[in-house]
Formats: sequence, C-alpha cells, structure tokens
Amino acid sequence: MMFGSMFRRKFEYKVPGLNTTSTADISFMLLIFFLVTTSMDADKGITRELPPIDKKSENTPTNVANDKTLRLRIDDAGRLFCNGHPMEITALKDSAEHVIERGGKEHVIQLKTERNASYDSYFHVQNELVAAYNSIRNEKAVQAYGESYEQLSEAQKETIIKAVPQRISETYIEVDNQQ
Amino acid sequence: MSMYRHHSHKVPGLNTSSLPDLIFSVLFFFMIVTHMRKANVLVKYKVPAGTELTKLTHRSATTYIYVGKPMDPSEGSESVVQLNDKLVNVKDIEGYMKHVRKSASDEDKDNLEASIKADRQTKMGIITDIKQALRNANILKINYSATSEHK
Repeated sequence: MMFGSMFRRKFEYKVPGLNTTSTADISFMLLIFFLVTTSMDADKGITRELPPIDKKSENTPTNVANDKTLRLRIDDAGRLFCNGHPMEITALKDSAEHVIERGGKEHVIQLKTERNASYDSYFHVQNELVAAYNSIRNEKAVQAYGESYEQLSEAQKETIIKAVPQRISETYIEVDNQQ
Repeated sequence: MSMYRHHSHKVPGLNTSSLPDLIFSVLFFFMIVTHMRKANVLVKYKVPAGTELTKLTHRSATTYIYVGKPMDPSEGSESVVQLNDKLVNVKDIEGYMKHVRKSASDEDKDNLEASIKADRQTKMGIITDIKQALRNANILKINYSATSEHK
C-alpha cells in the first residue's frame, strides 16, 4: 500500500480545473432571453358562465315576482337603466345586493345590453354585479363559518354558492342582417 | 520602514465562482413567474379595469380572443377579432371553437375556457356575437380580461 502510493505519486499530474469564468455570461444571456420572450402580466379577469344554448335564458324569469327581479339595461350611449330608471353605476352594487338578499335563491338579474353600447360600460356593470355577489357570499360565510369566503374550504364554498347562486340572465340582441 | 515595503498588500480578487449560481437562480425565478407570449397580437386593445378579478387557472385549455382596432392602419379602423394568432370573422369562431373542443386533451375538455381581451371602446354587438358563437360551440366558461383597479 505504502509502496504503491509512493510509486504512483511519481507520475501524478494535475488535471487543470474547468474554466468556468464564462458560465456567468452564458446564464446572463439565458436570463436576458427569458426576460425578452416572456411577459409578466398575469391573466386576470371576470369569469362568467354562459347559459347552454338549448336552454333559452328568456324562458326562466317568467314566473319570478317583480320585487325579486332587477331589470338592467345599458343603452347605446352606455348609460345604465334599472327597472326603467336611469341609475349611476356606483349605486348598482347596493341595489343588486338588495335584490339578491330579498329574492334569495329566486332572485333574477336581467341584463340587456344594446349592440352599440361600449364594452367598458358592460364590463363595469358585470364588475359591480360580481362585487355584490362577492360581498353577500362573504357575509354569509362569516355568518356560517366565521371566516371570510376566500378562506373557506372547497366544500364550504360549494355550500355558500348553493345558498347564493348567481342568477344573471342576459338578453342577447341578435341582428339578422349581419354581414 | 523597509519592513512594510517588503509586505506587498495585495487585495485578494473577488471570488466570483458563485456568480453563475446566483444568476441561475434569478433565471429560474423568471422562468417560473413569467409565461411565454403565445401569440403575436395584431389588434390594439386596452382592457377595462375592474376590482373583482380572478386569475385564469387553466392556461393550456384557454383560447384567447382579442377584439380591437387593427394594428395595421391599412386594414381600416373597424373593430376586428383575433383568435389565438390570426384575424378571423366572427362567424368563423364557432367552427374553430368546435375544432378546439375536439382536439383538446381529456383533462382539458372540462376546463375549456375563452379569454376575451377586448378594447374598452368595442361595441357590445361584436362581444354578443362572440358570446353566441361560444355558446353554440359549447364553450361556456368565459373570462373578460381586465386590469386590476385599486379603489
């Protein structure tokens, strides 16, 4: 053993270490490549469920009592009308909450948008409606479980969603002579 | 005096052997938090701002629909619709989305979603037509893309 190691030591030569000075530059280039080709903007938005095509949404609200219905209309100029009266967008959340609470599972929010109305006005109405639903669901969650809606488990959320369903029916105005 | 001069005070070089590792970790960070730009956007759009936004969850099952004025001014100033990476007619959306549904993988089939990135000034007529086309193709989950607005 002793002899062997001594013998070998004579022929020992060092393998030069790999030169890694440029690794930093290479990884910098990769980094810059990723910075350029990717984008950071998280995709966020309001998620909505469309009614299936076979079940016409116009059929559902016929037997709903008047005080459980909120009839919204956005006219060509993007103005909001609630049950025929003009309404500020800021007041929408409160009256929507009112209808949802009074109507419970039977409430209906009807939304009719003219074809020339701007997407922005439509979007803000949707945003306020979702805000109304969220705040009521949150209230219900605190009542039932003592926690905010966001913190509930999936099963608990399901119960709340069943108790406060989103019932928005949209009227689609079709144009037959569309090109 | 001479004793000091003998000592050459060399400042040792900065050890940069961990520099690649540092940069690699920054690189991985960016790879995780960002995502590849999918399509070359051919329309100008500024999405509306909202407060009640949720994040898009199933990216691979999402079809992007852009609505806005064309980037190229020679194509006029009417609102156009871009589906994923090319400009389409509103009436072609239904066929394309049916094709998407057919070719989607099994786990994506339940989560098929359309993300509508429309300009604020778009007329609702176009949006309604797109929504009807999606309903006809049985894509019922839609997401109105927006930026968050702080109240």
